[in-house]
Amino acid sequence: MDKMERQLREDAGRIKADLSPELQERIRASLESTRPADQTPRKTQTPGTTLWWASSLTGLAAAALVILLINWNSANGPIEDEPVSATPGAALSIQSNFPLIVETAEWATPLEEELKNLQSDLEKARENVERDLRISF
Amino acid sequence: MATEEQLIASAKEGSDSAFSELVERYQKRLFRFLLTRCRSQADVEDAIQDTFVNAYRYIGSYNPRWSFSTWLYRIALRNAAKNSQRVEEIDADSSPTPTDPLEACIVASERENLWLTARRLLSTDAYSAMWLRYAEDMSVKDIARSLGKPMSWTKVTLMRSRRRLSTELSGEQEAAASGEAYG
Repeated sequence: MDKMERQLREDAGRIKADLSPELQERIRASLESTRPADQTPRKTQTPGTTLWWASSLTGLAAAALVILLINWNSANGPIEDEPVSATPGAALSIQSNFPLIVETAEWATPLEEELKNLQSDLEKARENVERDLRISF
Repeated sequence: MATEEQLIASAKEGSDSAFSELVERYQKRLFRFLLTRCRSQADVEDAIQDTFVNAYRYIGSYNPRWSFSTWLYRIALRNAAKNSQRVEEIDADSSPTPTDPLEACIVASERENLWLTARRLLSTDAYSAMWLRYAEDMSVKDIARSLGKPMSWTKVTLMRSRRRLSTELSGEQEAAASGEAYG
């Protein structure tokens, strides 16, 4: 504490602060004629609290509904195991819309003819080569 | 002897005797503070009465997070400001200059009371901040709360007010010393 602080404290003590008996009586009388405004402390409800309660109640209601639905399904009979299909359901639905029994494509006849033509061409070429060879030798 | 916390708790529950005990403990301190803020003895008396009545009426809303003295001084400051506003309105019409209640209550001494010097030099809020700090030993945080000012304002105001008072004091001492030398 420095000199000025000490002096300020001392000088504050040099201020007489005696309340007169009249003033004390006046204060007492005014307090007697006054009633406290509200003894209960004010409760402040913030929007955040309300939101928290609303979301919690919604969540609980949703969970209760899910549990109720599961229990209701189990009460109607056990769920049978269905065979697992390799074909997805969507593909099956597409297949059922189109007839998959189609006629076999007849590619054999033209190919055989082509092969015969080629073979005859080859035979002709071989004969020509042999003839040429005989002429040469 | 009941502690302040116990008295406040009892007063909140409706105990008149507990509140009377709180009045007893604080009345001198508040009276002294209001002497420095009000323009007449009558204003001081009105302000202290209104302060205790308001405190009693709204004790239920007192938040123990803050010290009771901070809450009480805040109410006192508001009442003092309200009274001084009313007095200014009356003065605008016409009335004789009232006797300074602070000067009337200061015990005579060789030198001027430093609080009179402070009141002459400082603004009303700066003076109150100094009073709450050095006469009431309040923390800076509580002073800021009582005056309804930011902490930064309170710190800077206290520092500047001290410097200003200190400069004034050193000037007076130099003048006294030179007076003695010539005398």
